[in-house]
Amino acid sequence: MSIADKIKTILYELQSFYLLCLHSILKLFKKPFYFDDMIEQMEYAGASSVLIVSLVCLFVGMALSLQLSAELSGLGLKMYTGKIVGIAVIREIGPLVTALVFIGRVGAGQTAEIGSMILGHQIDTLRVYGIDPIKKVVIPRVIASIVMLPCLTIIGDLVCLFGGYYIAVLVSNQSGSFYWSSIIRELTFQNVFSGSIKPFIFGYLISCISCYYGIRTKGGAKGLRISTTKAVVTSIVVVIAMDFVLTRILLYALGFSV
Amino acid sequence: MIVFDDVWFSYGNREVLRGISFKADFHERIAVLGESGGGKTTILKLILGLIAPDNGKILIDGIDITSLKEEELIPIRRKFSIVFQEGALFDSLPVKENVAFFMRELLKLSDKEIYTRVSKLLSRVGVQEAEELMPEELSGGMHRRVAIARALAVGKTKMFLYDEPTAGLDPINSERIISLIKDLADKENIGFMIITHVVYVAWQLCDRFIFIKDGKIIFDGNKQELILTEHPSVREFIKELFFKIKKY
Repeated sequence: MSIADKIKTILYELQSFYLLCLHSILKLFKKPFYFDDMIEQMEYAGASSVLIVSLVCLFVGMALSLQLSAELSGLGLKMYTGKIVGIAVIREIGPLVTALVFIGRVGAGQTAEIGSMILGHQIDTLRVYGIDPIKKVVIPRVIASIVMLPCLTIIGDLVCLFGGYYIAVLVSNQSGSFYWSSIIRELTFQNVFSGSIKPFIFGYLISCISCYYGIRTKGGAKGLRISTTKAVVTSIVVVIAMDFVLTRILLYALGFSV
Repeated sequence: MIVFDDVWFSYGNREVLRGISFKADFHERIAVLGESGGGKTTILKLILGLIAPDNGKILIDGIDITSLKEEELIPIRRKFSIVFQEGALFDSLPVKENVAFFMRELLKLSDKEIYTRVSKLLSRVGVQEAEELMPEELSGGMHRRVAIARALAVGKTKMFLYDEPTAGLDPINSERIISLIKDLADKENIGFMIITHVVYVAWQLCDRFIFIKDGKIIFDGNKQELILTEHPSVREFIKELFFKIKKY
């Protein structure tokens, strides 16, 4: 394939992705509305992910608290553990870790499911009977992701902070009430807004990327493997890059000096 | 009427169809035969407007569908009922919900009416006992029969399209599917186009045979012409048929 062909392919893929993102918003307001599918997807994306998100966030919170306690106690600043854990988890680590877990569990699942529907001609069957696959298959997944990722992030943040508390109090022998009061002091509008806007955007991007690669699946089991891998890798890169961009914008918009 | 006029289609750099032309009436019983990967299923997808050709025209009842938008294709697609290879049932739904699916989406009937129709359709195709089963619990033959029931659910169409309806089935189940297809066509008086690489299946069901090789139609004729053809590739393909006819 020549370089010109490669550029053409990339541009075509970007255009197709852009159109999918656009249609998933525009068609949201057109009838029919598939509420049952949305609820089913929310159950899969949200309720079924609580355990894995909690488990990962618990260990991340514990590891973070352990690292900070070790470093800060050398400087005599151990009492700042709660404050730093609070800021890091609420603004950055909570949304990011939850999104990464969400990619692995929900995003990959969405790509695999849609990909297998493509290979099994189920999407073609929908089209034959005049049912728009974007409305029936993509939009419920996008909405489920936009709604459930912020909910999971709140749970993830709490569990992460609890993991930090466990280490700070039981391992590092700090005061539990001081730990929580330091965190409560950090629950300012800027910090909470900064951490809560990200999951909505991450959820939208993850489900659009996952559905896009699912729809583009071709070539049997190998094709499904390639699509799922591409969806996961692209989602991870896009979410981390977007996290940086959003952080930069939010710090500027909320008046933090860097 | 379906008209293919010099239709070309390729997947990437691989040319699958190279200037295919044919006309078919909805009441005909047509078999499209050829080797696997030879573009037979592509023809079905082109008829339904699921993919667009690179070149050429496809007319359905005089309307060129090659440049139609997705919404404009809906009335064209309603003229057909399709049974994809392996059934294309929705994995997450039990059999009765699979059959009810398009009735629920398109016909807006009450639950009672839907389930009455579902029971009738399932007993018509001979799988009424599988109502509560999930697709993964069905045998290959039951899969196809449920898919046929689902295709019948939405209402009367002008033509049935079957993609490899007996692929992967044992001889007994193949025979069951063949007689079901025949029975439906006779009772409903609807034509069909069947995609297969098994000549004997086509012979039992169809009156017209289209052979595709290297992306081109190498034979298009009736039973008599098929038996008498001198085309070496077609003769090679129908060797199996002579053996079976002799055997029976």
